Amino acid sequence: MRSSTLKSVLRYLVSLFVVAVFVFPIAWFALTSIKPISAVFNKDRVVVFDFKPTFDNYRVTVLGGEKNSLMTGQSTSMGTSGKGAYDGRGSIMSSLIIAISSTFLATFIALLAGYALSRLKFWGSQGYLNWVLSQRFLPPIAIIIPLVFIFHDLGLRDTHLGIIIAHTLINIPIALLLLKSFFDDVPIEIDQAAMIDGATRFQCFYLVVLPMIRGGIAATAVLCFIFSWTEFILSLFLTNTIRTIPVKITTFVTSTGSEWGYISALGTAAIIPGFIFILLVQNHLVRGLTMGAIKD
Amino acid sequence: MGSAQVRQASKGRLPRWLTSEHPLPWLFPVTSILVVFGLYPVLYSLWLSFFKRNPATRTEKFLPAWNWNKLLGDERVWDAVQVTFTYAAIALTIQLVLGMLIALLLDSDRRGFGLFRALMTLPLVVPPAVTGMMFLLMYDSSFGVISNALYSVNLLSPDHPILGSGSTALWGVIVADVWQWTPFMVLIMLAGLRALPKEPFEAASIDGATAFQSFFFLTLPMMSKIIALAVLVRGIDLFRIFDYVKVMTDSGPGTATETLTAYAGTVYFKSANFSYASTVALATLILVLVVSTVFIKVFKIRF
Repeated sequence: MRSSTLKSVLRYLVSLFVVAVFVFPIAWFALTSIKPISAVFNKDRVVVFDFKPTFDNYRVTVLGGEKNSLMTGQSTSMGTSGKGAYDGRGSIMSSLIIAISSTFLATFIALLAGYALSRLKFWGSQGYLNWVLSQRFLPPIAIIIPLVFIFHDLGLRDTHLGIIIAHTLINIPIALLLLKSFFDDVPIEIDQAAMIDGATRFQCFYLVVLPMIRGGIAATAVLCFIFSWTEFILSLFLTNTIRTIPVKITTFVTSTGSEWGYISALGTAAIIPGFIFILLVQNHLVRGLTMGAIKD
Repeated sequence: MGSAQVRQASKGRLPRWLTSEHPLPWLFPVTSILVVFGLYPVLYSLWLSFFKRNPATRTEKFLPAWNWNKLLGDERVWDAVQVTFTYAAIALTIQLVLGMLIALLLDSDRRGFGLFRALMTLPLVVPPAVTGMMFLLMYDSSFGVISNALYSVNLLSPDHPILGSGSTALWGVIVADVWQWTPFMVLIMLAGLRALPKEPFEAASIDGATAFQSFFFLTLPMMSKIIALAVLVRGIDLFRIFDYVKVMTDSGPGTATETLTAYAGTVYFKSANFSYASTVALATLILVLVVSTVFIKVFKIRF
């Protein structure tokens, strides 16, 4: 009895330690974002907690306030110069527009295809699925260079629409396979009953089956949002002036030094939507991350 | 009434392949996007790889074998292949073992463990570029918290920056990858553990099996499908690694952390040799396709 209590206490403590290790980098980053600059760049005392918290980094990066020259001082003011170099409002807006639009687009068209692949048995459907799946395994770099040319010709280079299309492209395989797995959960008898009652295929899809997988659609949309929100390489290559947050942050690192206060403030702000969303879809997370292969 | 009208219209005028009874209208939007922005660019890449480009004069000459010969003779490509495989193998092994161990640890219905499992998922939503930044900050040779912790236990000396030294730079990047993606493995393993039937374990413990024995002879074999799937999904992402390398080391020092995708990016950005950059990118694609197809066939994975 006593040894089992000891074991469970030990297990709890080890678990706590492991979780703390995985939360630490985020906590450290968030802490850095509210430190005054003297506490960030202090090599004699690396771990300090007795600093006076400041929201100046957020004021500059998230609210677009003026850089406070008193805070940074002459000697530590480095990196990209010019007005608004650290103003992240434009990139927050771009990231939101791109993530929301591509989520809607990918989820919507994947719903149509997912329903057909789940319900209409036709020649080549397995081959079609494999082809969609192979898109998920495609290294983005293999399509980026021609995409730069194609986007240039179509006038999509450096536009929101261009990145929306690119992110829709990478989200389609995930959304399609995931939604198909949710459609597969709905018994086919339900479709048959609806169609005997005179519904067309589309009515059956729209009025009967769709409402039954609302939870699955929400989970799919959340994952698409997160993938678009965190995507880096396509945004980096396909834009020059429109900067999504991950790309914008990397511009705060320069050869003369990094503005850690601004980086950590914008970075922490960028993590928050993902945090909220992922906690909402905990139930379908495993299925989503394995594209429907593991059902929960 | 609306349904009757729709049905009449579909029966009366439209050919069958335009109605919702036929897969075509359902698949058309997805297919068109995948063909135009997914398949066409790959073929375009292939086409580009058949031209010898002179970046200085910006002229191209049709020489189908030129870039591919150059690829095979390019030592940086072979270095990059080696770095990619090393990176993928080390990161995958650590993530798999750690993921399984942490899943076993957190697989409990006691109070607090639900919160632990939820907190474990948090690294997954951090943009990889931001993850790179987090670790850059912690690795900083003067005020980085990880560097200073390593100095204090004499595992590292201040004149040996983690990301600036050839011997440790790749490990520095791997640690960031492990931090971000071990939770992915934990989640999958937890789902696998929770789906295991209870009876074999009860029978084994009655027969006197130790915890180790039932793990190696029951848990592992019963979870082999799920483990294979996790290895596949994660392995492919590891082969495509770009973000961490670009943000944290930009392939350096020298080419110590240059993966295939990073090298393709370097050729594109620094020498503007689009046709050769496409060739390197296609080599990555071929590598990923071959490895993943073999893996899917061997382990009979179905989506």
